[in-house]
Amino acid sequence: MPSAIELIQSLVNGVGIGLVYGLIAIGFCVIYNASGIVNFAQGVFVMLGGMFAYSFLVGMKLPLALAAAISIALVAVVGVLVQIAVIRPMWKRKAPMFAIILATLAVQLLIEQIVILTLGDQPRTYPEFTSGGPLKIGQVAIGYQLFWVLGCGALMVGLLTLFFNKTRVGRALRACSQNREAAALLGIPVGSMLVLSFALSAALGAAAGILITPMQYTSYSIDGPFGVSGFIAAIIGGFGSAPAALAGGILLGVVQSAAIVVFGAGYKNVIALTVLLIVLLFFPKGLFGGLAKRA
Amino acid sequence: MTSRDTIFTRLGRYGYFAVGGAIFFALLFAFVFVRGGYLLTVMQLAMIYGVFCIGLNFFMGYTGQASFGQNAFAALGGYGTAVLCVQFGWEPVFALIASMAIAGIASVIVGYPTLRLRGHYLAMATFALGLITYDISVQWTSVTQGYMGYSGIPPLGIGPFTIEDERMKLVCLMVILLFGLWVSGRLRNSRFGRALRAISTSELGAAALGINVARYKLAAFVIAALYASASGSLFAHVVGFISPEVFGLQMVVVTFTMLYVGGVGTVLGPAVGAIIASLLPEIVRSTGRFQDIAYALALIVMLIYVPKGLSALGGLGRSRVAEPGAGS
Repeated sequence: MPSAIELIQSLVNGVGIGLVYGLIAIGFCVIYNASGIVNFAQGVFVMLGGMFAYSFLVGMKLPLALAAAISIALVAVVGVLVQIAVIRPMWKRKAPMFAIILATLAVQLLIEQIVILTLGDQPRTYPEFTSGGPLKIGQVAIGYQLFWVLGCGALMVGLLTLFFNKTRVGRALRACSQNREAAALLGIPVGSMLVLSFALSAALGAAAGILITPMQYTSYSIDGPFGVSGFIAAIIGGFGSAPAALAGGILLGVVQSAAIVVFGAGYKNVIALTVLLIVLLFFPKGLFGGLAKRA
Repeated sequence: MTSRDTIFTRLGRYGYFAVGGAIFFALLFAFVFVRGGYLLTVMQLAMIYGVFCIGLNFFMGYTGQASFGQNAFAALGGYGTAVLCVQFGWEPVFALIASMAIAGIASVIVGYPTLRLRGHYLAMATFALGLITYDISVQWTSVTQGYMGYSGIPPLGIGPFTIEDERMKLVCLMVILLFGLWVSGRLRNSRFGRALRAISTSELGAAALGINVARYKLAAFVIAALYASASGSLFAHVVGFISPEVFGLQMVVVTFTMLYVGGVGTVLGPAVGAIIASLLPEIVRSTGRFQDIAYALALIVMLIYVPKGLSALGGLGRSRVAEPGAGS
């Protein structure tokens, strides 16, 4: 049996990775609520965020804040391109749900292969944002990066909440999520809102990827596991609000980290997916209340 | 009036398309057979993917359900065969059948709870199955040998009769594919198949007609898993080597591309799509990476512009009225 210290340490690590899952989950929710589409390629944004940040930070030696900002902007552009080139034409032709899911999967494979060709297939990482550490509390070590994740995560969730509640555009997005026809009748440009939701969601994913890379690594193949973990977090949270998605992410992260201590690191995705199946089967509406609407 | 007349009305314009297609594929096989070499390998793989797609078509085409995790059962078939043959020295044929049985049982256990889900949830749950299987095949090195993969899997055969010749392998695979198609065609027009198609049109309507929707969905899922497992085993025996990558996300995208190229929900579509989608990349002579990119792009374009696949071409002469549910 693992010792208490090990378990507490894994809890701390779990909160860090869980926050990142939560951010990805919010990305899923933003698109889903605006369009009813589940973008299976969400993990691609996380991967691209990390890969771009690595290229700018290590390859071109740009300062961190600049590298992060450019990466997030670029990934948002990728998100917009995916929406305009793939999702919008299918949307207009009223393609069935699984065809759109399939298309997003194809987008994921496409971007993965392009990344291998252009940026290589080696795992990458870069140093933590603040050197030094880890902070020691008793025998439990807390890396400084965790505080960055916590701080940035809280900041983003706060900004998003403000955006959705206080700004015109944010309210228009929420109107779309409630009833697209009615929103269109009120003069809200629903098409542009969908583009915006993809940009926002891609930016969130990229931020998550930039934050997590120093704690782990990034490579072309991390998108699948991260995308699925984010989706699981969104399901646990019930696809409703940003805080619920974040809570779902933290719960998943903690369970996963505890499971790593017990079963070994290789099976962390297997465990996350098993959590997904359990939640889907026994709590189909999420742990924190019902869905806004059925899929 | 005359028998010629009935044949003519039976065939119609659609019939000419079918006859032309049959002649085309016969010539194609003759060419591959004479030419030999690398093309034989390509065709062998096309047959194997064809078997997989027929199964996928049962669940997606006939029943109208989405499964993005059928590669899990192909992996089960491939590794089942590999382990039984290499570790335990089983006869390949028995190993193939045993793996199919294992996949069948696994699909019942997994499908029973999972198929209660709908829409995005079903899609993600099945996708998760594929990912779980991939991770296990990478991690469980004592059985699967991880990334290194399994080599030295014996070719198909019974007792002293093994099929080593590449041409004979192709013929054997062709027979298996045709058998698979025959089963699929027979089932499609049976009471069972009609029930599946009723479910794809409307679950509520099907239930109102007295169809046990859950049970029929599960049956279609199990059939799809059996086909997938068989194709995984065939791959192992024909190529002699498997690794986790064989059954990864690429397999999902490639097989869906084939299904869409051929036409979702048609009997012959999966086989036609598998052959065309396998040959086209060879004509442009692209390597692995670009091939994946080409598949992904082709699938996206197909999904947007020709969601009914090539089978829609055959229907060009017919009336333009859209058919409900999966096209025939």
